[in-house]
Amino acid sequence: MKGPLDRAKVVVRHLPPTISQSAFIEQIDGRFTGRYNWVSFRPGKTSQKRQSYARAYIDFKKPEDVIEFAEFFDGHVFVNEKGTQFKTIVEYAPSQRVPRQWSKKDGR
Amino acid sequence: PERSARVSKVRPPLHQYIRKLLFSDLDKSSIEQVLRQLRKLPWNECETYLLKCFMKVHRGKYGQIHLIASLTAGLSRYHDEFAVAVVDEVLEEIRLGLEMNDYGMQQCRLAHMRLLGELYNYEQLDSSVIFDTLYLILVFGHRTAEQDVLDPPEDCFRIRMVITLLETCGHYFDRGSSKRKLDRFLIHFQRYILSKGALPLDIEFDLQDLFVDLRPKMTRYSSIEEVNAVLVELEEHERTVSTDKANSEKHSDTEKPRSRSTS
Repeated sequence: MKGPLDRAKVVVRHLPPTISQSAFIEQIDGRFTGRYNWVSFRPGKTSQKRQSYARAYIDFKKPEDVIEFAEFFDGHVFVNEKGTQFKTIVEYAPSQRVPRQWSKKDGR
Repeated sequence: PERSARVSKVRPPLHQYIRKLLFSDLDKSSIEQVLRQLRKLPWNECETYLLKCFMKVHRGKYGQIHLIASLTAGLSRYHDEFAVAVVDEVLEEIRLGLEMNDYGMQQCRLAHMRLLGELYNYEQLDSSVIFDTLYLILVFGHRTAEQDVLDPPEDCFRIRMVITLLETCGHYFDRGSSKRKLDRFLIHFQRYILSKGALPLDIEFDLQDLFVDLRPKMTRYSSIEEVNAVLVELEEHERTVSTDKANSEKHSDTEKPRSRSTS
């Protein structure tokens, strides 16, 4: 099991509801290309009833990179065309589990 | 009245089929078959929708939530990324629930606690996730300006959340380090309970049942001062143990968790 110091999976919360996966990846690539194993993006939703933020999970290759990423991205403010601000939160993901690299192909 | 008839939502056939499988077909006797049908779905197209439906556990019967956890475990063999997503998603729902503290969401929030516990029972997450969640519930939003909104003094809902989670998986924390972790948590929990003052009777009775069930011999303290004293002692003890442990680190006993599958 992973100890607290080996944690490498983060959750990025409170991303703007309308941000797309490619726009998000664009934000982090450049500086972090090749430094993570896995990303899972959950789009947000805007409706009159309820709006939900977009969210992303990233598994970094090295625990140290989490610190650098948090310094770079935690508190990062997105501003949409209406001027609404969205302040990003970066935290360790509560569950550190990541998908196995090799998933069995389902013969069904 | 000038109101037009309500337009019912039209769902694509694939979504309708998923809903039929999960919300009407699924029960103890059909679970194998439902699992097989889910495996046959075009995963690229419907993984997102399936995840959404898995989170709607409050729609089904409370006693059947373990079936959703069991399906998650069954699917993890071929779609591990999906099982990971289910765990991440339910943890996010729990966190979101704490952030909003919306009265109308209570039933849904308890269903998510139940699902989290069942996902532990089906070995989809570690005990550390359960304990982190338990402590998060006790402290979230405390000592902030929003405390009175997030956890008002007379609001006992968080006690319900803890009871629900521990009812579901607490009996597995009966040996080794997870036993000690639960002992420790229950003292912190008692402190939280006492901070609420007099409890509604239904909650008090559920608490009594929980303690009888998990730790029949544990003292229920009657004042915050008493609990505080116990906590100080506990922390003192933990400090000496951790120094001892640091001295004899290499020979530490690694406790193998025993299998938890209930089916």
